[in-house]
Amino acid sequence: MSLTDLMSMAKPNLESREKILAKLTSKGLVNCFQCIKCTSGCTALKLLELKPHEIVKLVNLGFIDELASSDIIWTCVTCLKCFQGCPQKASPYHVIMALRNLAVEREAKVPEGYLKAVSRILEVGLAEPPAEVVTRKMEIFNRESLKLPKIASPKESFQTAFMKILEEH
Amino acid sequence: MKIAVFWGCRILTSQYAYEMSTRQVFPKFNVELVDLSETNCCGDPVKSVNDLAANYLAARVLALANKTGLENLLVPCNRCHFVISEAKGLLEKNVKFREKIIGLLNEEGLKYNSKIKIWHVIDFLHDFVGLVKVKKAVLKSLKDLKLATHVGCQIIRYSDLGRVDDAENPQKLDELVSVLGANVVDYAEKLDCCGANLMHSHPDSALSLTGTKLNILQVYGVDGLVVSCPDCGLMFDFKQKDAATTIGAKLNIPVVYYTQLLGLALGIEKEKLGLQLNQSPVDQFLTKIPL
Amino acid sequence: MPKIGVYVCHCGLNIAGVVEIDKVVKYAKSLPDVALVRDYTYMCSALGQRMIQEDIKTHNLDRIVIATCSPRMHEETFRKAVAEAGLNPYLLEIVNLREQVSWTHTDEPEKATEKAKDLVKMGVARAKLLEPLERSRVQVEKSVLVVGGGIAGIQASLDLADAGFPVYLVEKAPSIGGRMAQLDKTFPTLDCSACILTPKMVDVAKHSNIRLLANSEVTRVKGFVGNYEVTIVKMPRYVDEEKCVGCELCTKVCPVKVPDKFNEGLSQTRAIAIYSPYAVPKVATINPKYCLRLKYDKDVCGKCLEACEAKAINFQQQPDTVQLKVGGIILAIGSGVFDASKIGELGYRRYKDVISNIEFERIVNASGPTGGKILCPGNGESPKTIVFVQCVGSRDKRFHEYCCRVGCMATLKQAVLAREHLGKDVNIYICFNDMRAFGKGYDEFYRRARDLDINFVAGLPSDIREDASGSIHFDVYDKGTNKLLELRPDLVVLANGLIPNDDLGKIGELFHVSRSADGFLLEAHPKLRPLESAVAGIFLAGTCQGPKDIPDTVAQASGAAAKVIDLLSHGEIELEPLKAVVDEDLCSGCRICESICPFLAVGMKTKNVNGEEKFRAEVIEAMCQGCGLCASACPTNAIKMKHYTDEQVLAQVQAACVEETTKKGGS
Repeated sequence: MSLTDLMSMAKPNLESREKILAKLTSKGLVNCFQCIKCTSGCTALKLLELKPHEIVKLVNLGFIDELASSDIIWTCVTCLKCFQGCPQKASPYHVIMALRNLAVEREAKVPEGYLKAVSRILEVGLAEPPAEVVTRKMEIFNRESLKLPKIASPKESFQTAFMKILEEH
Repeated sequence: MKIAVFWGCRILTSQYAYEMSTRQVFPKFNVELVDLSETNCCGDPVKSVNDLAANYLAARVLALANKTGLENLLVPCNRCHFVISEAKGLLEKNVKFREKIIGLLNEEGLKYNSKIKIWHVIDFLHDFVGLVKVKKAVLKSLKDLKLATHVGCQIIRYSDLGRVDDAENPQKLDELVSVLGANVVDYAEKLDCCGANLMHSHPDSALSLTGTKLNILQVYGVDGLVVSCPDCGLMFDFKQKDAATTIGAKLNIPVVYYTQLLGLALGIEKEKLGLQLNQSPVDQFLTKIPL
Repeated sequence: MPKIGVYVCHCGLNIAGVVEIDKVVKYAKSLPDVALVRDYTYMCSALGQRMIQEDIKTHNLDRIVIATCSPRMHEETFRKAVAEAGLNPYLLEIVNLREQVSWTHTDEPEKATEKAKDLVKMGVARAKLLEPLERSRVQVEKSVLVVGGGIAGIQASLDLADAGFPVYLVEKAPSIGGRMAQLDKTFPTLDCSACILTPKMVDVAKHSNIRLLANSEVTRVKGFVGNYEVTIVKMPRYVDEEKCVGCELCTKVCPVKVPDKFNEGLSQTRAIAIYSPYAVPKVATINPKYCLRLKYDKDVCGKCLEACEAKAINFQQQPDTVQLKVGGIILAIGSGVFDASKIGELGYRRYKDVISNIEFERIVNASGPTGGKILCPGNGESPKTIVFVQCVGSRDKRFHEYCCRVGCMATLKQAVLAREHLGKDVNIYICFNDMRAFGKGYDEFYRRARDLDINFVAGLPSDIREDASGSIHFDVYDKGTNKLLELRPDLVVLANGLIPNDDLGKIGELFHVSRSADGFLLEAHPKLRPLESAVAGIFLAGTCQGPKDIPDTVAQASGAAAKVIDLLSHGEIELEPLKAVVDEDLCSGCRICESICPFLAVGMKTKNVNGEEKFRAEVIEAMCQGCGLCASACPTNAIKMKHYTDEQVLAQVQAACVEETTKKGGS
């Protein structure tokens, strides 16, 4: 292997890179010329130091393993500004989503909220549990008391289908 | 006319006001909302876990819409609108993916229909119903209100997918508000994100984004903020107090859904529009609306 | 009986390294009508050519087949050699054993050799049926039309005029000078643009061989190379060019304010005005869209009429049509500038203090709207911080994918000028993606900018905003320091790229020139023929062919002029005989060929046939490119392609497909 990151002694993972490239609908990832526009406008940069240009460059060179197990890929707020403004149609957003999928596959650090959402969808079809709302006058309401129609949960066949596709890679 | 409607998860489980007000205003334009026979999550949180599964969920929603026999689907949530639009695009372009998904749907006896048109509340009212009809239906002009709009991120980006409004200078929501008589304020931070999606992993940062934007609006001196997405509503309205704490400032901005605002202009009672459920101080805002 | 000489070239090892030359030679000897076969290492060399010439004379060969590299390489050379030996040059057939055999089938030498044999067989079969052809000559007009009066058009016109050719220079605007007249100082020498340009403009006006048609447009083009008929319309100025002395008294009294186009709309001029401070011709022009009298067609105002002492104003002036015959045309119509309001997030046209590079150029120019003082359009004050943003609309898949080539150098120049005008206490930043300083003296100029404490931020901003107090700010991430920086400039200058001229659609229709993928005019070959369009006789110069700086524009203009001189200097041109020809007896006059020809080379003429007037197709040889569309479309097989007749082509097909049942001797 001809390339090494001397800080971490990591080597590029070209197999993972190919997998990620195959997922992306546009080949923009390889076209990124580091103009930095995405990072300049990134919503999550100031608070969480997310640098989309860096993530794209790292993936392009193949340094994926560290990213897949990092926290940084979970800081993206999905505002889509990066893809919208990119002059080369690279999409850091889609790269980050692909890295997240990889993190889940490898059972790396995945924020609980996402996994909880998936199991709830499996169970009842929705990602959130029904909540009660407390008004400004301290009254409590829910769907029923607001006379809203009942939520029609999906049939059992949905569970089977969803489970099936979750297990595919 | 009839239109199928997909509410997503957030509206059905906490943002009841959005559902109530939408159900109230659409019939005023002779539009009947037809609920789907069953509902599942559009797949938004699943995108970060398994994008194939996420796209399947979105495709399933479209297949359920197909079951109604109607050709138009209303999706009032920005995030659902984006997820379903992306899935639709993928189904049209990627043959392998389409075959897999159609296969899975077939097993449930569901059929995918590529002709279904996806609408958001904003483009449906602005483009389909039209500003002229909306203006005609106004009974109470909101002329004493100075309002700002927050159209959100996922219905204006990314343009290649074909979105509800222009990504650089979205005007449709502004026009829908000003046609009700209100004064709409343009501001530099208009396209800043509410931060909702960070609640899964970094709630403090999420609230910081929310609070910063509300604080700026306070400086502009607006009477209220108009939103059109239940996630944005959740952040700006439900979590306004938490946001205030996070950024260490006092926040006092009424936040309403567009359909609630529209309902008020159409003369519908505030309880029917769910205005009692808003957590932000909407009462001060309601005083500026003629009785 | 034809006597065919076959010559197999080794091309060093290019062919011989893969193809077994002996086997091909032996095979060629076995073919019918082949009088002799030779092979040699380099057929195209002087020795190789002489070999063929001597054989033609000694053995009375009347057909030559050379199995060598692609005909694109040396067909012309070999034709000349054959002609020198007294044989018609079109009795030569080239068989491609390099690009079509040895280079493509390097890994399969046995099969390659078999293919080489087959190709030689096909070549011999065709050679038998070749006919002698003569090149025809056509007289040419020794005059030139130059469309566009910017530096490219000016330079080309002067070169041609000096060489003795009458030139018609047509310019759409009321004055020549183009984009260069708007510039202040030019990189990398910081020469004053107007100072180096205006002498040339005056030369054009004074040159006895140049007829300048300003305020004019080409409306029709007919004909073919060497014989173009052009219609030009001189739009009325409503001012007599002969009488106007350029005193500008009319402008002073005109009540109608009009955005000044020369100053990019940053200032106002009047409905009657002289186009620019350097206008050539220096004649006032009335803009009919704004002039009260012309717009409303009423006898109102007329203040200019009163004021003009030369009595030059004439509201009744009509467009004047000029018909010209020219031999060659140079298109030098220039380019446009990207409208950055398409990138909404950068705030152009939304915030007053976000301006374009061409607007900055006018501001910094002493003849511009501020008299050369760098002032912010918003508050009219001198900026304390200026930021330049690069690559606006360029290298961008959403707008224009190409690099605009001049953006980096133009910005460096503007930054240096800003430093010179405003002194060392002003902060100047350039936000860039790459810094492209490729030309002569360019990188040295880049260094000069750095020496002047101009700061470079390695990163492009995403959104430029203005806060409630009117103060502009934006964030930009710098690759060098890995820091997110906030900039609060007083003035932002966007490096808007050069874009294809708006008129290219019209030009394309008029001259039948096509455009490349980037939208600029398409050259005949991107490397080897950058000055010619695909249409014979029409040449390209300047930024209409692609964005470029002044040195390259001038070079290209002079080159195009040389090409025109090359074309027209003999008074006649030779046409290759590889054209379509119509057999009038077979022609039914259906006109399918006329409609299908992409070069407008087929016309219809009337012929008296048995007392009736019938249409018969006629090929205009000078315009025919020999593509063969008409021949294949003709339902009565009335059109034949010279040198590629059906018989000749079918003979090759037969040779390739039919197995020989008898062979001469053993293999």
